[in-house]
Amino acid sequence: MPTTRTWLQAGGGTVAAALIIAAVVQAMSSSAMWVSNDPVGECGQTSGGAVVAAQNVLWAGTGLEPVDGAWDAESEVAAKAFQAYNGLPVNGCVDTSTWLTMRAYLISLCDPEYDCRGPDHRVRYAAPGGAREAFFADNECDWGSYVLPGVAASPVTSNKITALSRDAVVEIECES
Amino acid sequence: MVTTIEEPRIRPEWLLGGAVTLLGAIIIIVVTLILGAREDEPVVTPVDATELTAGTCAEDLRQPHWVPKTVQRAAAECPADISAAIGRTTAEDHLGTWIIYPLEGEGNDETFSGGPGLSWPEDEVRSGAYHPASAITYVAYPGSTELSGELSGDNVTVEWSDLADSGREARVTRVDNNGFGPVRVEWTDDAGSYLLLGTMGRTPEGGSGPTVAELLRIADSVAAEDE
Repeated sequence: MPTTRTWLQAGGGTVAAALIIAAVVQAMSSSAMWVSNDPVGECGQTSGGAVVAAQNVLWAGTGLEPVDGAWDAESEVAAKAFQAYNGLPVNGCVDTSTWLTMRAYLISLCDPEYDCRGPDHRVRYAAPGGAREAFFADNECDWGSYVLPGVAASPVTSNKITALSRDAVVEIECES
Repeated sequence: MVTTIEEPRIRPEWLLGGAVTLLGAIIIIVVTLILGAREDEPVVTPVDATELTAGTCAEDLRQPHWVPKTVQRAAAECPADISAAIGRTTAEDHLGTWIIYPLEGEGNDETFSGGPGLSWPEDEVRSGAYHPASAITYVAYPGSTELSGELSGDNVTVEWSDLADSGREARVTRVDNNGFGPVRVEWTDDAGSYLLLGTMGRTPEGGSGPTVAELLRIADSVAAEDE
């Protein structure tokens, strides 16, 4: 017959194991944050950090500006053009398949095994007279948008990192 | 009887007329040759793609020796350029070097007219008529031994393909949207890790951008001059 102490030890061990599993699941979910976020557009969020992220990619891919975290008619046209060119269903909704397509354009700035601080991924499109670029921060940030000057508009601040996962436009600091 | 034969005299006006005629003929010939040379100037595809980065900060970079014929030029971005573009100091020692190869030809040029908005007809937007320029992006991370994190999702396929000449294997990641979408080819060797990115774009003409086979051939050519 197990003693009370044995039951307590077994219970404590179970709780500890559950906590470890939860931490691992949370870490995995954080690394997949880019594609697990909510839809953007008339089908979902029309303001906030996810909108900033989508607009930042659409700036590079279609010339959409400004990036201000507010979904509007221009943003929808840009999303449709992006979807059409990439073979996606053209509905103006930045859903999981569109997020994933956008994610594939993000290229690490640093060695894959090195954790850059701050903006560490870039989307770059060749354009007449130069290039259109959008930067993102992954490490330590669970993804954040880094919008260049001339493209960002209030409440989005250029050269700051805006959290992708927040309902509002929230600046975060990713450097350790 | 002495016969005096007068030598024909060259009259000065003949000399002047001849000189003017000769000069005119020379001008016509030279102009014709110059214009003709411009019209017939052949499209020069370099024998070795590394020539495209000669004189840039990437000229000594380990890079492709072959690119498709639709590539006529390249733009290089080195760590200092990228760090400056971000507007803040980043660990330049760990930044990759980028080479962008724009593709020429029908369907590969940017078609935007102003920013996206209601002036873009809906049916044209849906057909893929408004699209960016096609380009192949090559990034080298010297000294690196790893690839980027693997993508996954319903419309993502990941396969490993042999690079026949170099004996390496490349990871090919496609976001396959009905045959279109971005393609990433990534691999490593003893000198570093590498990435190629291209888009198989849907346009009214059918499609644009490189094929997967072309990207793999570019990747294989990086090791073309290895012993």
